[in-house]
Amino acid sequence: MTGKKKGKLTKVLDYLKHEDPFSKGVAFCPGCGLELLLRFIPQVLGNDIVITGTPSCSAPVLLGQNNQSWHTLSYFGTLMTGAAANATGLARYYRKAGIKNTVVCFNGDGTAADIGFGNLSGAAERNEPFIYICYDNEGYMNTGVQKSATTPYGASTTTTPFGTASKGKNLRRMNLALKMAMHKIPYAATATLSDLGDLAKKLLKAKEAKERGFAFLHVFAPCTTGWGYAPENTIEVCRRAVKTNYFPLWEAINGKIRMTKTVKKPKPVSTYTELMKKFAHLNEADLQILQDDVDYEYCMLGGLSTLEAECHIPESVED
Amino acid sequence: MNIKAEAKAKAGSQIKVITGNAAAAIGAKLVRPDVVAAYPITPQTEIIEQISKFHANGEMDCELITVEGENSAMNAVMAASLAGGRVFTATSSWGLVFMYDAVLATAGARAPVVMVNVNRETPGIIAVSCGQQDMISTRDAGWIFLIAEDCQEVLDLVLQAYRLAEDYDIQVPVMVHYDGFYLSYLSEGVDVPFQEDVDRFLSVLNDQPERTKLVPGGKLGCGTHGILGGYLELRHKHVSAMERSKAKFEQIDKEFQEIFGRSYGGQIEEYRMDDADVVLVGSGSMCGTIKTVIDEKRDAGVKVGLLKIRMYRPFPGEAMVEALKGKKAIGVVDRSLCFGFKGGPIYTELKAFETQLDGSKMVSFIDGIANTDITTANIGQMIDATCDLAEGKDVREVTWVSYPEAQEEGGL
Repeated sequence: MTGKKKGKLTKVLDYLKHEDPFSKGVAFCPGCGLELLLRFIPQVLGNDIVITGTPSCSAPVLLGQNNQSWHTLSYFGTLMTGAAANATGLARYYRKAGIKNTVVCFNGDGTAADIGFGNLSGAAERNEPFIYICYDNEGYMNTGVQKSATTPYGASTTTTPFGTASKGKNLRRMNLALKMAMHKIPYAATATLSDLGDLAKKLLKAKEAKERGFAFLHVFAPCTTGWGYAPENTIEVCRRAVKTNYFPLWEAINGKIRMTKTVKKPKPVSTYTELMKKFAHLNEADLQILQDDVDYEYCMLGGLSTLEAECHIPESVED
Repeated sequence: MNIKAEAKAKAGSQIKVITGNAAAAIGAKLVRPDVVAAYPITPQTEIIEQISKFHANGEMDCELITVEGENSAMNAVMAASLAGGRVFTATSSWGLVFMYDAVLATAGARAPVVMVNVNRETPGIIAVSCGQQDMISTRDAGWIFLIAEDCQEVLDLVLQAYRLAEDYDIQVPVMVHYDGFYLSYLSEGVDVPFQEDVDRFLSVLNDQPERTKLVPGGKLGCGTHGILGGYLELRHKHVSAMERSKAKFEQIDKEFQEIFGRSYGGQIEEYRMDDADVVLVGSGSMCGTIKTVIDEKRDAGVKVGLLKIRMYRPFPGEAMVEALKGKKAIGVVDRSLCFGFKGGPIYTELKAFETQLDGSKMVSFIDGIANTDITTANIGQMIDATCDLAEGKDVREVTWVSYPEAQEEGGL
């Protein structure tokens, strides 16, 4: 990963200081956002991370089968219910034994926002010394596209299908990243695959922050199969999610929020939704509800970032 | 130091009047764990309060994780154990059930976790009272189960549990059970071992090959998908390790005696069994009362003995057959239920060995559920009924001793 290229890309490649520990051909769908993210993390953070994986889209590749593995990382197969607690146990033992470590607790939104939220919140509250990454594909893609807490309003999934009496998910999505920032942890941030330089920076910041405690990254990682868009459009979906403020990029240090990318003229959310089938059934009025939700979330984020700039934030407790 | 205390000190111990929970906490302190994670629940809470105090006073140099629920307690210690640490946790009842998936995963991963479970009635009906139903609810999880009779045995079993769990040839998690309320809050004299003796007792583990550990950059993982033959291989190895643990536990009991001067007999303890015609089979705190009643019955000329189960998983079938063979009648006392069967769980399991017992007759007694005291009178009644059975009289197969209404309700 040392080959230098001209132009913008060089910046991203500069962050890739380590080998890709994954086999060249792995069992992900073509165009999988998760695969790009999974290969990216150890190239930035190093191959000496200990990564945990849950039953999810990542599981076949991250956990392997019997005594065979798709990669050379040290990994720990967790349960969805207790992923953050598993990572806690690892990080605490390494600390006790004086073993230098970077534990990366890698989970989908089903684990992070739904079934494993309790222990995620608990680990954040205790300021456990590891990095938690949520790759958000907005539902249970591995089990066949069911809704989760981060599934957006109007999305058709197999448990919130579009039908004569249903517009898809009739609820707004949970803002997981903001919730985590509210735990006042050393580091919380959002990132996505269209802004890899930003993602790399945030990974390194998380690694540095975990020396002081809990670091949380929420990475928007679209699913070509579950969302119904062409495999080559994964990055474009990410790009438009950012440009419409559907998925704003920000970070929070000890709860203090700062936008890391500001979109000067945000595009309407329809320029994002038009790329995929999961919103195809929505009419203008439905889309307006989604737009209102996006606007509300962004407004709240903006409000918090200015509000918190005015507030004194206590230093985090050192142990 | 007076002469008595000096003699005691030479024997490597000191007597303290403490509760069963305190005994468990002191046991946990003496094994010098790397990581402790726990969540409070009645009647276990005192254990983690004590450990927190030890930690706060600098007497325990461990990572103490005050988790947000039992599920995380088990997940944290499982991972810390697989990373290479010595770990401890404790729970009870609903807490054990809330960590059930992690309890299974811990066994599947062969993580040498040691957990104390203070027996309490379990989901179904809310009950803040003693019962072994929590233990029964997890008996097929793949853990080794040990059961203590008194506060001394609580402490001693915690120490022995580490020798068993972390033994290179075993590597199976161990749960130490004792009766909530009856033992958790009971204060009695406990011979507390000195640290150097415990260190010596555990040092055997240091001489064994190092177990596989999950280390950063180690290019190893745990928690793979088990498929077909790979799955079968792991399961068969696990079952084999459980079988090996029986003899290992006997050996540990002997080594324990050499250092601490106390022996319990390994998988089972036999009390006045040699010439007994009838036997009660029991476990946990009820055994103290049973022994008292047996002494009285013996004085009256009744040849009765007790078989106390100390190791419940793996089931000590061979040892029990050896001890019970040829006895005229056996009464099994269960402090829990076996839904789908009429008799209690231990009774039902012992039934599987009936053909090897040379014609011993068996009956089931269910008592002590939800803090109904297993009184000396109740035990007298059970012994009398078992004697009747030995004499060929008609005795009900299953008796709910503290619930005579059961007979009127029919069925059993």
